[in-house]
Amino acid sequence: MKSNSTPNKDAGTWRLNFLFFFFTLTLCSSVLFGQNTSFLVTGKVTSDSGNALGGVSVQVKGTARGTSTDATGNYGISASETSVLVFSSIGYTTQEVPVAGKQVINVTLNASSGQLEQVVVVGYGTQRKRDVTGSVASVSGAEIAKQPVLTAAQAIQGKVAGVQILTSGDPNSSPTVRIRGVGTMLGGAAPLYVVDGVITDDIRNINSADITSMDILKDASATAIYGMRAANGVLLITTKKGRTGKMVVAYDGLVGVKEVARLVNMAGSNQYANYVNEASIYYGSGDSLIRGAQLAAGGNTDWYDVILKKSLQQNHNVSISGGSESINYFLSAGYVGDGGVIKTNDFERFTLRSNNEYKLSRMLRLSTLVSYSRTNLRDVDLGVFDIAYRAAPYVPAKVGELYGNTSLSNNISNPLLNLEKLNNSSMGNRLQGTFSGEYKPIPWLTLRTSYGVDLNFYRNSTYRYRYTNTGANNIFLTSGGNQLVNRSQLALQADNSNKWVWDNTATITKVIGAHNFSLLVGATAEEYRFNTTRGTRLDVPENEDQWYLDAGVPASATNANSGDRWARNSYLSRLNYSFNNRYLLTATYRADATSRFPSQNRWGYFPSIGLGWNISREDFMAGQNLFDNLKLRASWGRVGNDQISSNLYNPLATLNVPYYYNGSEYLGISFNQAVDKNLKWETTEEYDLGLEFAILKNKLSGTIDYYHKTTRDALINIFFNGQVLGDIDNQYTTNAANFTNKGVEFSLNWTDRVSKNFDYNLNGNIAFNQNRIIGLNGGQALTSGSVGSQGFTTKSDNGQTIGSFFILQADGIFQNAAEITGSAQPNAQPGDLRYKDLSGPNGKPDGIINDLDRAYSGSYQPKFTFGLNGSVNYAAFDFSFGSYGTSGGKIYNAKKAARSDARDNVETEVAKNRWTPNNPGTNIPRANLNQLPASTYFLESGSFWRINNLTLGYTLPGNLLANRFQRLRVYVTAQNLLTITGYSGFTPEIVSGNNLNAGIEQTIYPTTRTFAFGVNVGL
Amino acid sequence: MIRYTHYKLLVLAVPLLMVAGCSKKFLEIDPQGQLTEVQALRDPEAANQLVGGVYNTLYLGGFDNSTVGFQWAILGDVASDDSDKGSTPSDYDAGGAGDVDNFRPNPANGIYNNIWNGHYLGIARANKAIDILNSSTIETTAKNRLLGEARFLRGFYYFNLVRAFGGVPKVVRVPEPAEVNSDEFQTRASVADIYAVILEDLQFAVDNLSVKGTAGTQLGRATKGAAQSYLAKVYMYQKNWQKTLELTQGVINSNQYTLVPNYNLVFREKAVSGVGGANNSESIFEVQTGLNVAENAVSPLYSNGQGPRGRGGWNDLGFGFNSPSADLAGFYEPGDTRRNATIIFINPTVAGRDNGTYLWDGFRLPSQDSVENPRYNYKAYHSPLLESGQLTSNKDTKPKNIRLMRYAEVLLMYAEAQAMLGNAAEATAKLNMVRSRANLPASTGTQANIWRERRAELAMEHDRFFDLVRQGRAGTVLRAHGKPFVDGRNEVFPIPNAQRDLSGGRLTQNNGY
Repeated sequence: MKSNSTPNKDAGTWRLNFLFFFFTLTLCSSVLFGQNTSFLVTGKVTSDSGNALGGVSVQVKGTARGTSTDATGNYGISASETSVLVFSSIGYTTQEVPVAGKQVINVTLNASSGQLEQVVVVGYGTQRKRDVTGSVASVSGAEIAKQPVLTAAQAIQGKVAGVQILTSGDPNSSPTVRIRGVGTMLGGAAPLYVVDGVITDDIRNINSADITSMDILKDASATAIYGMRAANGVLLITTKKGRTGKMVVAYDGLVGVKEVARLVNMAGSNQYANYVNEASIYYGSGDSLIRGAQLAAGGNTDWYDVILKKSLQQNHNVSISGGSESINYFLSAGYVGDGGVIKTNDFERFTLRSNNEYKLSRMLRLSTLVSYSRTNLRDVDLGVFDIAYRAAPYVPAKVGELYGNTSLSNNISNPLLNLEKLNNSSMGNRLQGTFSGEYKPIPWLTLRTSYGVDLNFYRNSTYRYRYTNTGANNIFLTSGGNQLVNRSQLALQADNSNKWVWDNTATITKVIGAHNFSLLVGATAEEYRFNTTRGTRLDVPENEDQWYLDAGVPASATNANSGDRWARNSYLSRLNYSFNNRYLLTATYRADATSRFPSQNRWGYFPSIGLGWNISREDFMAGQNLFDNLKLRASWGRVGNDQISSNLYNPLATLNVPYYYNGSEYLGISFNQAVDKNLKWETTEEYDLGLEFAILKNKLSGTIDYYHKTTRDALINIFFNGQVLGDIDNQYTTNAANFTNKGVEFSLNWTDRVSKNFDYNLNGNIAFNQNRIIGLNGGQALTSGSVGSQGFTTKSDNGQTIGSFFILQADGIFQNAAEITGSAQPNAQPGDLRYKDLSGPNGKPDGIINDLDRAYSGSYQPKFTFGLNGSVNYAAFDFSFGSYGTSGGKIYNAKKAARSDARDNVETEVAKNRWTPNNPGTNIPRANLNQLPASTYFLESGSFWRINNLTLGYTLPGNLLANRFQRLRVYVTAQNLLTITGYSGFTPEIVSGNNLNAGIEQTIYPTTRTFAFGVNVGL
Repeated sequence: MIRYTHYKLLVLAVPLLMVAGCSKKFLEIDPQGQLTEVQALRDPEAANQLVGGVYNTLYLGGFDNSTVGFQWAILGDVASDDSDKGSTPSDYDAGGAGDVDNFRPNPANGIYNNIWNGHYLGIARANKAIDILNSSTIETTAKNRLLGEARFLRGFYYFNLVRAFGGVPKVVRVPEPAEVNSDEFQTRASVADIYAVILEDLQFAVDNLSVKGTAGTQLGRATKGAAQSYLAKVYMYQKNWQKTLELTQGVINSNQYTLVPNYNLVFREKAVSGVGGANNSESIFEVQTGLNVAENAVSPLYSNGQGPRGRGGWNDLGFGFNSPSADLAGFYEPGDTRRNATIIFINPTVAGRDNGTYLWDGFRLPSQDSVENPRYNYKAYHSPLLESGQLTSNKDTKPKNIRLMRYAEVLLMYAEAQAMLGNAAEATAKLNMVRSRANLPASTGTQANIWRERRAELAMEHDRFFDLVRQGRAGTVLRAHGKPFVDGRNEVFPIPNAQRDLSGGRLTQNNGY
């Protein structure tokens, strides 16, 4: 290109000159001529309540020149006689003021009507909220940063209708996010994350304090621009940029205490002994299992108390931002320290971000966004949560250096020992960077290119200590049993991944009379590489400095190395058209290709169309004063989900299949998994109908959306006699299932500024969703959620909700022998659960209770989710609360259901209130020896309402600050203060399992509660 | 000047929109670190590797999908009068080996399904290897040898299946996944059809494999002798005595095999002064195990599953299944050296005296009060003291080569064929070769005597039940042994429920189940 351009330079330049001349003549002469007579304009921006407004964008209309006000509301900008200054700020109505020779322009901005002038990020661009035809919601960075949680996704819980967030107390965990229901069965159900325009799948490296706003794209009109990856919705994160003006230095810090939000009470030693002895004496061997002597010699251990802890949580952020006419900068450093609530758990994250923007000229801007994050985690084996439930309470946890021997008491390992004798530590380093250039050769054309990289380096070292249960080195109070580690083991794992995304877009914006056009076309390419290496050796010394593979026995060495790689290439386009600001049209089209699918199915095409009608802007609405805003939207579109493992369509050989010839090993290959060579993405077609309104002088605004999503070609397993092909699991994955998600979402927002010193806001949202499988088309109903010997607990079948519980129906308790005689459970004892005999081999009750009597009993998916949030500002005090709830979901209490040894512990309530001839009125069965079958007895309501966040702040008045600080605010905050729920387990929010078996509580990290004190300082 | 730069950028910006990745190649990414089918076909070594993958299925065992491992021992021995379930009375009883031992008709029993799955996995891998070999361009001799090996294994697996279940689906090619649910693969072929497949496969192997020790053979791979022996055995099951004779004659005349002088060295890992051990002079086909780091070149649980089970207090050797029956212990003629080489006898506990059992390697088993069962299978014993030690302490992965075909059996098949064809002298001669090795006096080569000899010689090698069925006297013998054997039902095991479900009910159940 370059070498060719030289000979043609003159001709090319001339042509471009001509073009440029032509367009500048017709469209923006002001830009050309205004340059010559510019002078400095200064002034102050205040709100309608009289406060100075900082951070207001001040722009010379039609140019790229802009600045923003400082904390005292003052600004200065170079403008000309004929310039028009545009003042805009989130939450305020944008104002345009002609300069007309004035050198001082003071402006008062009115709180905006709703948030209509607000700009929302919509994917490869931004749009004014009032022009959007899709269902889009925004949450401000301030709202997100307020909460002491790790990721932004966690912080939007309860803020947006139709966005279900399941959070865990596990430090460094990603919350489960479901937008408008569960969108897939076997594929990934997580939404797409886009950070500053760059697609990513993990936002744990983003410091919440660095976020300006988060926009959630819910319907196809909004998401289809992301095509094959948009079916689960899109979360767009915009990070902070510097603003032109004085340097702003800010420190935000928080120190608090984290603890388990809810506990489960387990039986103490005596209650425990009574229970298990009763089970054994009346229903078992006839003899006591626990002797008085054992109790007398033992302790009374609360195992949860033993494995849980309170820990310190800290967040510290420092940022420096500012800018001049040619450069805007934002630099931040953040630290998160979170010790978790399980012993030995620990987490730290350090982040650095530098977002710079360089204005090389009126036409050319470059920007670099670079972020680095470093995490250190000592992880815990969540299995301890289950065994702490079962561990016998009379066994002491640890006395001195010796542990209680739970493998002797009830054949499980000592949970504390498990935690202390396993060191699973990892370190992550992640570097994300985007370099982009924006070129506006002519005012109506913007060319943008951006190149982003995401580098991830992860290293895990897991050391398993050696310990024995007999002899001189016995570490147990009582020797014997079966918990021991004969040889220490070190496992090292190093992963690295490298992703780049290159986006190129051109945007043409034109206004012709009342017609507003904006056309975006673009192309993107993306490539991802991943490599993981793992090695293990035995007999590595205990000394941490020796935790290298070389320190172990060479003959015991194992190693493994594998990787992944994929690429994508996409073309995208979007047309926005509006007429008279009343009639809106958005049409998008994306063509996506990915290496994950076979060449004949490689390209997918994803169109959408959205229509909007700003009714309140119609002439016939001019006379009314009920509606400040009334807008109707309708959209249709098609989006895809390609979240499957790479090359699932490719028959792959299993390597290193050994056999011995001549006494030495020969490594063969085999094909063990049948595949569908025609695999493709899942397609979701979505309709959305929305109404937005604002009344009472914008005090009350709201949105109602109805949507209907149909997912087709969803991945499902076809069961077949796979051995015919050497396929051990008897199934292969193909695109066959269909299902729908449909629902209604309501949001209401009340904002009132009562006086200069007092304003408040209250908003609520509620979203109903119904998920139904409407066709398996040859696929098999998927059973999942195995709990011990109970077998599966969920079944996803035609006509049902994905992940429905499919279990026996507990129907009270047998009170006496007479009730048992003639029942379907002739071997039952009084006090046993009675199950409904629903069916048999011939479809009729057969007098036998078995798997044929299972029935659908609801699912983990809630019928509706809701949030209620509010804030009050009174003088220097600010108060806010956020709450969230779900209703109609079910939870399977699997830690209770998995109790399988006659000597396993039970909950206090079970021990106290079990059925006995003297306590017939209970719903808890008699003392049991064995694991009970999967039934509704273990199924509980997962509904809950929780106060997510409560914050009270005080901003020191200016006179106290003595000009040392721009701002100084202190606050106290409580995260997860209170949960109201009928669920008896640790948390009604279950972040475990997959789409088919979520909602089973067995080994999960409990939800945590944090009380913290924080400061915000602005220098 | 500045403006000029911008124009150049504009010119550059337009092609940027095209994105370098437009080329189709950008999206053609092969799986990383994994071999696709297409690539497998291209590699000249792939055919050999695929056949290696078929041999690998000989390891399938444990409580999982199984070919000739632990669960096959349950079918061959525990179902017969040679052994009892073993272990504790309740262990692996209902739903496990107890159903097999007592002929409880339970098509849901996992053993049947595991045997079915394991064998079909082997067959599927053989089909794949054969498929790819057929389209491969490697040199003909090598190709036919590899084809011969794959078809030998396929024939061998079908022989086990047809003996265990009767007619089974005939799968001799690689269908597309969507074809799999068709009737062709989901209905049972007749017993005769399956035998036709077996005969064709084994005959191909006989025709294309080389004699043991000649060029192109490797210890552990199937040889012409192995193919002849199994083909002879199949013909014996079909009472085609002439063919049995010819084929066993071929093995004998190859002069590659001799009986190991000491019977008790046949099942050891290491030879003693060059005699016995793994792949000894009478071994015709055996599972080749070895110890790699992953310990996955073994038939899991084969030794451990049958190893002596303690009652606590000592580091025992296994689960104690497949315990030789009192009937077997009493069956041997006086002086038969095979009795103590086949059965580990646990001594009664005598107060005040060490009455433990010392095994050949000096390993001491305590007396009865510390051991669960009175007898264990010596042929499955892997010495923790003198044979290959493992890296891990995992008892399940002891490297025990399973002897599948021995020269002694060839001699007995030859003898039986000769007896049936009226050549009593030849029958007697070979029968007595086997007897004299066991330190027994000469006998006459009648079919009845040969059948007796088969039991003594092959006891606890998982052949007895099928042999009784072949002999047509399983019912008589097993009922006399106290088992509820039902004629017309128990000659074969039930078609596993799981398989019938997968076939959508098209796989018919065996009579009486």
